[in-house]
Amino acid sequence: MNLTLVPLLLVALLMASADSGVETVQLLVSGSHDLTNQPGAVVVADATARVAVDTAVPGPVYVIGGEVVVSGEVAGDIVQLAGVVRVDDSATIDGELRHVGGSLAVAPGAVIGQRTSLPVATGPRAGPAGLLMSAVTALLLALVAARLRRRRGAALDNVADAIVGHPVVTLTVGALGALTALTVFVFMAFTLLLLPVALVGVVVGVVATAHGAIALGHVVGARLPVVDPGWATPLGVIVVVAILQVLSIIPVVGDLLGLGALLTGLGAVLVTYFGITPLRVDVLPA
Amino acid sequence: MNTQSKSTSPAGLVRGLVDPAGPAARLVGPIGVTGVGYVAYVAVMAAGYYYNLTFVQLGLIDLGTRRVGLASSTVSRAMAGFAVAALVVAVVTGRTMDRRGWGGSLPVKIRLLFAVVTTQTVLTLAAPRVSTSAGFVAWIVVCSATLGVGMPVAFSLMVDLVAVRHRGHVAAVAAGLAFAVAAVYPLEWRIEAFAPVMATMMVPAAVVLGVLSLRRFAFVDRLARQHERFGIGRFCRPTPIATASLAFWVPLAAMFAIFFVDSVGFLRIIETPAYVSTSWQSPEIGPRLVIAAAHLVGAAMAGVLYTAFGRRWLLVWIFGLFAFTHLLYTTHLHTGPAGMDPPLALPLFYVLAVSFYTTLNFALWPDLSTPATVGTRTALGVGIAGWLASFLSTSLALYSESLGLTLLDHLSLVNALALLLAVTWPVVAYIRRARSLATRRSPP
Repeated sequence: MNLTLVPLLLVALLMASADSGVETVQLLVSGSHDLTNQPGAVVVADATARVAVDTAVPGPVYVIGGEVVVSGEVAGDIVQLAGVVRVDDSATIDGELRHVGGSLAVAPGAVIGQRTSLPVATGPRAGPAGLLMSAVTALLLALVAARLRRRRGAALDNVADAIVGHPVVTLTVGALGALTALTVFVFMAFTLLLLPVALVGVVVGVVATAHGAIALGHVVGARLPVVDPGWATPLGVIVVVAILQVLSIIPVVGDLLGLGALLTGLGAVLVTYFGITPLRVDVLPA
Repeated sequence: MNTQSKSTSPAGLVRGLVDPAGPAARLVGPIGVTGVGYVAYVAVMAAGYYYNLTFVQLGLIDLGTRRVGLASSTVSRAMAGFAVAALVVAVVTGRTMDRRGWGGSLPVKIRLLFAVVTTQTVLTLAAPRVSTSAGFVAWIVVCSATLGVGMPVAFSLMVDLVAVRHRGHVAAVAAGLAFAVAAVYPLEWRIEAFAPVMATMMVPAAVVLGVLSLRRFAFVDRLARQHERFGIGRFCRPTPIATASLAFWVPLAAMFAIFFVDSVGFLRIIETPAYVSTSWQSPEIGPRLVIAAAHLVGAAMAGVLYTAFGRRWLLVWIFGLFAFTHLLYTTHLHTGPAGMDPPLALPLFYVLAVSFYTTLNFALWPDLSTPATVGTRTALGVGIAGWLASFLSTSLALYSESLGLTLLDHLSLVNALALLLAVTWPVVAYIRRARSLATRRSPP
């Protein structure tokens, strides 16, 4: 499954857990599937799912990616957060068709109990809106960086030293930590009971990644020709966010480089315990 | 004939290897003799482990059950006997190596490897022709003897060929390559499919080892002297550890547990069509390439972590990864919708854990040794942790299958064991730390 779908998956699971009628959740991550009358919620990620003409699916169905084609009946709600939903003439949706994001096409003959639309921009971050978003992010991170630099300068130095001194080690720890944590959180979210813990975990992950990005800014800032050292880190953070924004324009390679940089920062934060201690690696004989 | 054509002829090449200033020596030049040693180590270990993973572990089961027609329980007993016999031969070989000082003698190791590879080549070519239980047992006896010799000899090459600071990375390359190739080729897990692939690989290897055994070469002499600098392992500095010490047996017990958990679960997973046909034996190349890539990435990660942090952190990750992987499998068996392909995340986490511990297995035993002790330590380490655990657990998996235990019940037991280990290791580490603090504070 595409890892970028994880936040939407958590949102879908959160919505499913709020529905008192839902006891189980089925996740479709790839391939083509015909939905059946099996009870429980269905989350469609990168897969293609179809409700055939003579089939009644209990629902609810959450669409976070892929494609859903409804030709039969859905007794519950369909909530579209992303992806493609096509409702044919022969379709009946007894519950609510809630459109939040993605592409929706409803044939005129389709019978729908209730239809609501709350479109949220979920496309690729490009154009003025994307730039504004990046600018706001850069500004916020720069403000936090300035505060961190003043109050916990030594901790920031520890994380930055880990990035500069051992980039491969920090990248490895960051990649492994992110991969494992994301999978564990998704796994926890599926129990529904542990969904709040998973959300807390995601928040901690975001904070750690932001801390890593600030440390990257600290590294870059130290190399900028800035007279006042107090400005170096915030300016470095702005430069880092700008570089990440530029990298995101380049397909695949740019994304990988940006991800690598963020994971290196995250790894450095983890191995230094958020900067509490310098990274100590074993010194091996030649 | 001009001078250049003379110098690049086969005879000239051999002269060059004998002569440090010859043309072959100049070919070695760009990567250096030490680099040649690294390449040689990776080639030997990757090929040897590939052989073990495919032909021995999977081919032997196929040979016994399908070709000879023995019951699973009989094959499981035969494999347990195979493991014990190989372990005994490995320990005897390792002890002999240490007593005679062969741990630091590369030429002796090359000669022993030549004998092992030659015998195994004959065994490999003979395997598809085995059709009786007596032939199967005879094949196992000879195979266990040669592999028993091969274990300490191959694993101890690290003290001659790889510098301590590069062992994690070099081990990662060898482990990653072995698994990556095994994931892609051959697709069919049958003795008839394995044998030609292996023979094609082993015949040239035997020829090279034969030439190196029979003639003296300058670059081999230089490689053979490297153990004076590389020989003392990372965990034997500044003071070598004793074989009869917790410093050696605790990692050995941990590695035994890891190999056991892996094999006991894996054999039943690959017996389940829904899991194996969507991953390791997928008819599409895509999933198998993803698995191969995951092996390479996982091994590289393990190499970096081992080099930077040592064995303890890596063991924590391995136990955690195995516990999580088995949890994923059992949860999928409990709740996974029928008729739907299992997600690729399941085998990918498995692959990550396997690459981690294999990298550790390659580097750990030489790092717990010196040239004087490497024979016994690698024999005990690889023999007990790697070999005995794998085959005992494989036998147990076959036995559980013959008892009619369902995959879910079987994996639930494995999952319980994996979780127990994942919890035990940090607790043991905590207790050790507490003991160390208490000892430091106690009055003289």
